[in-house]
Amino acid sequence: MEIMKTQIPKDPVIETYKKDIDRTLLRENLRLTVEQRFDNLMSLQGFAEELRKAGRKFDDHKVS
Amino acid sequence: MITKFPDLLQTLSAAEVDFIVIDGAAAIAHGSAMLTYDLDIVYDRSSKNLERIVSALAPYQPYLRGAPPGLPFNWSARTLQNGLNFTLITSLGALDILGEVAGGGDYAALLPYSGHIELYGVRCLCLTLEKLILTKRAAGRPKDLNAIAELEALLEESERQL
Repeated sequence: MEIMKTQIPKDPVIETYKKDIDRTLLRENLRLTVEQRFDNLMSLQGFAEELRKAGRKFDDHKVS
Repeated sequence: MITKFPDLLQTLSAAEVDFIVIDGAAAIAHGSAMLTYDLDIVYDRSSKNLERIVSALAPYQPYLRGAPPGLPFNWSARTLQNGLNFTLITSLGALDILGEVAGGGDYAALLPYSGHIELYGVRCLCLTLEKLILTKRAAGRPKDLNAIAELEALLEESERQL
């Protein structure tokens, strides 16, 4: 089955947001396979979880 | 909890569930650098497909994400039939199964805008980057503005590389 083509009209609000996008990360990701992109995501999820745990410990030791 | 994307995709695919990967996971497949915690899919709502989803996920204890423990949630085709969109937590991670997407419609409506991706030995359908952008735009949620901008930049970058 052929994939339907879609046109995306420019939106000035989105264009403003687009200026702050780090395209170096996107270019790096485009060099990866789909599987590698998901592997990176799962590593990032693991890192985010570790940060959360560290944040909870930090809260526990906070001087009020 | 880390969502086991390979296991979820393999489970659904092995059961021959008709689904399309959408939203954050589709964005990742296309090269997004954003972090997502769940797998979002649009599923076909035919009775056969509902049965397949229920059998495939039953071993992984699907439960309503964020709901207090002990609620009488019955994981069955009837439950799926009576509802539409379910945000679930399973022992494989967070999974959103959607009968319809705001701004995109149902499985049949999204099918012409989906292509195959292959990962972890699974071939599954994924929404095109263009349609992903259009559905997010149509949903009109302010929180999506940055994600839409990233996806549009991604589209420009991928077209530049062709």
